[in-house]
Amino acid sequence: MFNQAMLSMLYAATLETLQMVGTATLLATLAGVPMGILLTTTAPSHILEQPLLHRLLGGIVNIGRSIPFIILMVAIIPFTRAVAGTSIGTEAAIVPLTVAAIPFVARLVDGALKEVDPGVIEAAVSMGASPPQIIYKVMLPEALPALVLAVTLTAVNLVGYSAMAGSIGGGGLGDLAIRYGYQRFRGDIMLMTVIILVVLVQGIQMLGDKIAYKLYQRN
Amino acid sequence: MITFKNVSKTFTGSSDVHALKGISLSIPAGEIFGIIGQSGAGKSTLIRCINMLERPDSGEVWVNGVLMNDLSDKELRKARKQTGMIFQHFNLLNSRTVLQNIAFPLELAGCSRKSVRDKVSSLADLVGLSDKLNSYPSQLSGGQKQRVGIARALATEPKILLCDEATSALDPETTTAVLSLLRKINEQLNLTIVLITHEMAVIQEICDSVAVLEDGVLEETGPVMDVFTQPRSKAAKRMLQGFLSTKLSPENWHQPDSTLLKLTFVDKKAHQPIISQMIRRHGIDVNILFGRIDQMKSTPFGMLMVELTGSDGQVAQAIEFLQKNQVGVEVLN
Repeated sequence: MFNQAMLSMLYAATLETLQMVGTATLLATLAGVPMGILLTTTAPSHILEQPLLHRLLGGIVNIGRSIPFIILMVAIIPFTRAVAGTSIGTEAAIVPLTVAAIPFVARLVDGALKEVDPGVIEAAVSMGASPPQIIYKVMLPEALPALVLAVTLTAVNLVGYSAMAGSIGGGGLGDLAIRYGYQRFRGDIMLMTVIILVVLVQGIQMLGDKIAYKLYQRN
Repeated sequence: MITFKNVSKTFTGSSDVHALKGISLSIPAGEIFGIIGQSGAGKSTLIRCINMLERPDSGEVWVNGVLMNDLSDKELRKARKQTGMIFQHFNLLNSRTVLQNIAFPLELAGCSRKSVRDKVSSLADLVGLSDKLNSYPSQLSGGQKQRVGIARALATEPKILLCDEATSALDPETTTAVLSLLRKINEQLNLTIVLITHEMAVIQEICDSVAVLEDGVLEETGPVMDVFTQPRSKAAKRMLQGFLSTKLSPENWHQPDSTLLKLTFVDKKAHQPIISQMIRRHGIDVNILFGRIDQMKSTPFGMLMVELTGSDGQVAQAIEFLQKNQVGVEVLN
């Protein structure tokens, strides 16, 4: 039912999706984790208490999370163009994907770090640990399984977002599904992209769960 | 060693909580010092003022000649390394093995790997966990976790160990074992131990001195033997009710025309036949209502509730005789 051309198109689209999701997840994690750490530690009576900064960060995260992705994507086209040099294509799509995922990661990291037993942090303080030591040696290692799950959830969400990015010329499986499956009534291609997306999401989730489980086991 | 001068602390919130109200207290070096009080009495806040986990609103906290209130963040971190602390819920790092947990404070202090390994193995020996070094906390029992906590607290060779309800989450048998470990390190390392608890038995078993805290007020302080056998404050009396004596109030078993006495024998007096001497000499009748022999840390003591029947003169002489023999006498009616 598929010819060689179709298959190679599906293959290329899958790679594009993986590239978008992988890069955006990585960049969003790099930016979102520090933001999440700041969000947690600047909270009242935490180790770097800064009420003003805390509220500001919380506000930014909430605004970022409340803008629907499809609108964010269009709204930041000038920024995308400035960063990627273009607003079309896989690489350009990584910009809005990352921007959308950063506050998401930050909020998940905040949630994961808040779950760290305050008693353990107090114990570290009582031993004379400095705030950076508490973050790197206590909070992050203790929250590691939850952080892995947070990144996993982000990647899974980004698979969905990447399909939306595809609809405005971002490439990848979403793009293929819209152009062939929807606009040219190719139900078979639509079905294949959906199957590949399901497999991708399953794969990411299973990998994340497995790593987190390994980390939980010792806890 | 540790001195509180008029320390107060209020937690502001929807309703203000006056956790500490002008506490002045001295804790001598080398002692095991207990702070007892019911939950909400402020003992947790008080012990946290020693290492500034809680900052007092007013008053001074002196530790080892250093005014803790005035230290900068950096100086405070340094000072904290000289004060170990253990907790009710152990507060171990779940992501680290026993070895890595004990090594944690040494790692914070930037010790070399070699010295860390030697130190950790000697500490594990001290607390009896040499065979558990590679286990994770989740694989340990409560008592074992507290032993890790103790080893971790001792890693930086502190002069003071703070125990925040360290045995409250443990069963009675494990409590005894952990308390004897605390006593051992107090003696071996000449460590000053400050512990807070709501259990009289903990104070009785290992403390030299005790402070009774109620509603943020220091009600009474002194050697455990004195406070337990002759409590002066209402709070101490109430807490001790039923602990060293019966819960029955005197009215319930007091006969008319007799004098009800509570007698306390301390140390060697507990071995002498003072009661029978008193009966023979003063020709009175004695009815023993309640008795108990126990020990405070390692000092034996006895407590008797007796009823004396006889003429007023005989009873007064008998009481005088008891007092002359250094028996604590309290007339209950």
